[in-house]
Amino acid sequence: MVESIGFEGIAINAWLVWIVPFIGAALIPALAKKSIRFSNMSAVGFAIISALLAATLIPIVVSGSEIHSQIPWIPTLNIKAGILADPLSVIMTNLVAWICSLIIIYSVGYMHGDRDLTRYWFFMLFFIGSMQLIVLSDNLLMVFFGWEGVGFASYALIGFWYADRKKDYVGREGHIVRGIAMWASPTHAGIKAFLMTRAGDVMMLSGMFLIFMHAGTFGFKELLADQTWAHNMMEQNLLVPAAILLFGGAIGKSAQFPLNEWLLEAMTGPTPVSALIHAATMVKAGVFLVARIGPLFFALAAFDAAAFFEVVAWIGAITAFLLATQAIVNPEIKKVLAYSTGSQIGYMMMALGIAGLSTQFVDGYTAGFFHLMSHAMFKASLFMAAGAILHVVGSRFMTDMGGLRKNMNKTFIFMLLSGLSLAGAPLITSGFWSKDAIFAALLESGTSTGISLFFIAFIVAIMTAFYTFRMVGMVFFGTKSKHIQTIEQNSFNKSQYVSSISSDPTDEQRLKPDHENSLKHDSKHQIHEVKAVMWVPFAILAVSTVLIGLVGFIFEEEIHSIMASYLSSSFGIGETISTHNSATNIKQNASPTTEGLNPIALLSSFVAFGIGSGLGIFFYIIRKKDPEIISKYPVLKQTWLFLYNRWYLNSFLYWGFVKIPLRLYKLIWLYFENIIAQGINPALQYSMSFMSKWVKYTQTGVTQTYLFVFAAGIIVVLIMLYL
Amino acid sequence: MIDISSTPIIIIILLGSVGLAIPIIDAYKKEKGKNKNKLFSAITFGTLMLALLIVISRVIGGELLPAMSFGKDVLADDMFGSFFAVSLLIVSIMVSASSWNYMKGISNSASYYSLILLSTIGMILIAYSTDFVMLFIAWELMSIPTYALAAFSKKDPISNEAAIKYFMFGAFSSSILVLAIGFVYAVTGTTNIGDSITILAELSAPNQTADHNLGGVIPISYLAIGLFIAGFGFKMGLVPFHMWLPDAYEGAPTTIGALLAAGTKKAGFAAAIRVIVLGMFAIGLDWSIVLAILAVITMTVGNFGALIQKSVPRMMAYSSVAQAGYMMIGLALAPYASSALDGSLFHILNHAVMKSASFLAIAAVAIALASYSLEKYTGLGRKMPITAIALSISLLALAGVPPLNGFWSKLVLFQSAIDSGTVISWGPYLAIAGLLNSALSLGYYLWIIKKMYLDESGDMSRVKEPKAIICVLVFAIIFMVGFGIWHAPLLEFASISVPSHIDQIAPSFGNITNN
Repeated sequence: MVESIGFEGIAINAWLVWIVPFIGAALIPALAKKSIRFSNMSAVGFAIISALLAATLIPIVVSGSEIHSQIPWIPTLNIKAGILADPLSVIMTNLVAWICSLIIIYSVGYMHGDRDLTRYWFFMLFFIGSMQLIVLSDNLLMVFFGWEGVGFASYALIGFWYADRKKDYVGREGHIVRGIAMWASPTHAGIKAFLMTRAGDVMMLSGMFLIFMHAGTFGFKELLADQTWAHNMMEQNLLVPAAILLFGGAIGKSAQFPLNEWLLEAMTGPTPVSALIHAATMVKAGVFLVARIGPLFFALAAFDAAAFFEVVAWIGAITAFLLATQAIVNPEIKKVLAYSTGSQIGYMMMALGIAGLSTQFVDGYTAGFFHLMSHAMFKASLFMAAGAILHVVGSRFMTDMGGLRKNMNKTFIFMLLSGLSLAGAPLITSGFWSKDAIFAALLESGTSTGISLFFIAFIVAIMTAFYTFRMVGMVFFGTKSKHIQTIEQNSFNKSQYVSSISSDPTDEQRLKPDHENSLKHDSKHQIHEVKAVMWVPFAILAVSTVLIGLVGFIFEEEIHSIMASYLSSSFGIGETISTHNSATNIKQNASPTTEGLNPIALLSSFVAFGIGSGLGIFFYIIRKKDPEIISKYPVLKQTWLFLYNRWYLNSFLYWGFVKIPLRLYKLIWLYFENIIAQGINPALQYSMSFMSKWVKYTQTGVTQTYLFVFAAGIIVVLIMLYL
Repeated sequence: MIDISSTPIIIIILLGSVGLAIPIIDAYKKEKGKNKNKLFSAITFGTLMLALLIVISRVIGGELLPAMSFGKDVLADDMFGSFFAVSLLIVSIMVSASSWNYMKGISNSASYYSLILLSTIGMILIAYSTDFVMLFIAWELMSIPTYALAAFSKKDPISNEAAIKYFMFGAFSSSILVLAIGFVYAVTGTTNIGDSITILAELSAPNQTADHNLGGVIPISYLAIGLFIAGFGFKMGLVPFHMWLPDAYEGAPTTIGALLAAGTKKAGFAAAIRVIVLGMFAIGLDWSIVLAILAVITMTVGNFGALIQKSVPRMMAYSSVAQAGYMMIGLALAPYASSALDGSLFHILNHAVMKSASFLAIAAVAIALASYSLEKYTGLGRKMPITAIALSISLLALAGVPPLNGFWSKLVLFQSAIDSGTVISWGPYLAIAGLLNSALSLGYYLWIIKKMYLDESGDMSRVKEPKAIICVLVFAIIFMVGFGIWHAPLLEFASISVPSHIDQIAPSFGNITNN
């Protein structure tokens, strides 16, 4: 056990990392009174201060120590508030803080001229504070507070453009599957996201309280230190259910099967929101939670938590496959990225799950966490680039794009770089190394689950490379679409352009004098490159994924050693032989640590990228064959339709949880509410107001009465005393 | 002889000298047509802030006597008194800052602020006093300025009626208090609270009652206790001694309503805890049921009374009756649950802020819309957004909605009531009564909030909100939400101000109560 050593001064920084953004959020409405520019600057300032504070914690990772600082919070229940800055949370907090800062800077450009900028900054800062609270907190209760905070910010930002204009929708209008509309307005999407994640949150809350009932604490450290609670729960067969319930929260937040559908509609939010919340950070909260509690369950002595890890791994695998298949057929750029996000998070879950099943916990753990880091970077970059394209093109459909590579040179280069990372381009991208690490972890787990998961992961990798190249090809290659040609033509004739874009210019200007307006003002040029405030942030991220990729192997080894020492010092997993766990001992002796690269994993990474990118380039970049060809084959067409209709999962959920309950509600309203509740209500109401009137009548306003009551009161009190 | 540098003496000197200086300044600088309201408000505010800082620095510095201490002096420089001093100074600060706006344009601003300061001294001294005579003098020092303050708008007949009722009951209860003190002196031969309780305890100890000479003494001490309950209960607003209260709180200027509801009521509790609760520890435990019955009646009558009122200050007046009922839970259960008095003190401090905030928000509405009627609150969320949000938060805090501060103090109170179930069978019923009443109270708290936010009114344009009151309300919001999220410091402050063991109060009590 490593105790906090010599970092007392830094503990306050760890607190401030999440407190500063909250303070910023509270102050933004006041600061916005001064000027819009000032409030932009201060929002960026708060994000960067928080990031700098997070950076001061880095020595903790280097020295492999930890800071654990607590204050009493709810003394009556002996609950303490605290922060726990250990290597896991410090790496995560820096990742979050710096990506947040970049995206906040990007937002200055993207949201320029929006009427509700104050609300936007408020929720962005509120989100950063809540996210950092999740990362740094030392107990489940505070994690839950942050968890709800990010959920609320996500809801508010998905529905940010609450005027529900058609251009902010997702999905193709008129696309109805089994009676369920597949397109959604921002407000609808916000509510959907909130409700679906809430289903997970309820599970998490019940899991938390199950553990609290037995352990009497929410603290991660306390849970590990005294393990009698786990003995008790194990005897009642409650430990694995509680763990799975906790994982339910992660399923909701990280958009894993079966709660994956909200993430796609969440793309109605402004693109920086998609980049920050629905790609880089919030959806990682679920993975982070598993990374937090996974080692804890693994380290609990003599308990077989295999069932829990099995669930984690399989949920991850199903999600990865499910969403990757749908990403292949989707025509909207942000939705492709959203599917891909869910699918990649599936990879992380797979890795964390296999960690708990294998003998070498640290391998899968490192692989999952490494993939989290590299994905956060390249996906945020991809989203911001996609936002730049949307900003310019004004349509979310990739069929409305095409041939943009010359007009948007910088966006093209950096999107390609981060796209390569997503596809797992060998040797030079961080995405390749992290995915390779997952492959290796699956193969080396020495379980049959690992092998079957490996095949799924392999197929998903092929699909990933394919849809990445499909996206890049559809956006940047080929001929320019009709939509773009119209814009280019119209830009010669200003008045024509304005009338074609917005049918009701006054309304348009009032609601969102966003990019159309800026186009209107300087519509001399054609489709143009975005401003530096927008492309620099995603360029930084794209370049850094390549830089990490170039030293990928060394980087991976470094994380591996950090995580190995973290796991062994904090949880006693790994090198140190845990005396209390004979079962683990045997497993550990059976297979020694394998160092270096796994040749099969490396080879399969190459092959997957080769097949996927080859197909993608064939259809969408050099365009030898029109992809429409599949419509000639009924089987392929049916498959396409099945995927395009989202495996009918969305329709199923809507029928099960919206349509049918609404009908049931009508019955209840008719027969229960109208008859019974309406009968009881007035009775209650009248009795209450009768009592109230009685009190009112005694209050005559006549002083003599008052004095009489006073005197009578004394006598009554005296009589009661003597009795 | 009490040390000249002790906290109560410093407060007397500081507030007293400024309180007397204000009329003198007024007399000297008599310029025609110039209103010195703002000057005096600022002076009062500054003085009270200074006093608050002194008390807080002493609390943090740890120079004070622990918990509740009794000595040979008339005043004790202890934590208990300082706890009340902090609560009461916060109320006075909020009131005096709000008067910047509310008392704009009145003629006698000098005497207004002077009276507030003098009344504040009285309230604080009650909490510090360890002698019945001192207690009584402080009681009068607190009460007499408030009679004048309640009648401050002298052309307003309602205000005058309120003041007269208040004064009559004040005089009545003062005489009852003197009588009670007289009885205690007759039995014990001392006016020192600590000594007299020790003597009463010795008299009522089982081995002593055999002595026939003392046979008549115990009934008299019971009489004294009953009269104390009535006398203090007048200020605390206990049913059935509450009848004057809605009229007075409603009729007095609203800022003074805040001072009465949040300030003098707390002083009544300070006195009651000093005298009644300690007496309860000492003499025997069988009359805590009287306090419990009073608590339940008080909260129920208060909440029912508030339910269908049309006037918001009157509703708040009844609500403060109900809140007194919750606080009484702690007093009634003090001998049985260790955290009961913690809960009472915690709730007292919270209530000081919540109730002042709600009354001052009402004052802001009265300034802007010139009405106290609930009907006029329609659409207030649009018209006066900051006032409306402050009022809503204070109402929710009063109802005990988490995560606001009022929730935690109620939690501690009800928790202690449930814990006391192991000792005394009726203890948990107090928690049930409190819970049902909290639910009932939402009936009118939410009604106001609904009026402000959900109901549409014709004119929804923004009204100018009085600035000083807004500052006070923002402070109150930060207090209520901040200490709602992190209540540990306040609860700790409350629990170190309360004697957790009877031995701490006076060593001589210990062997008696152990019997």
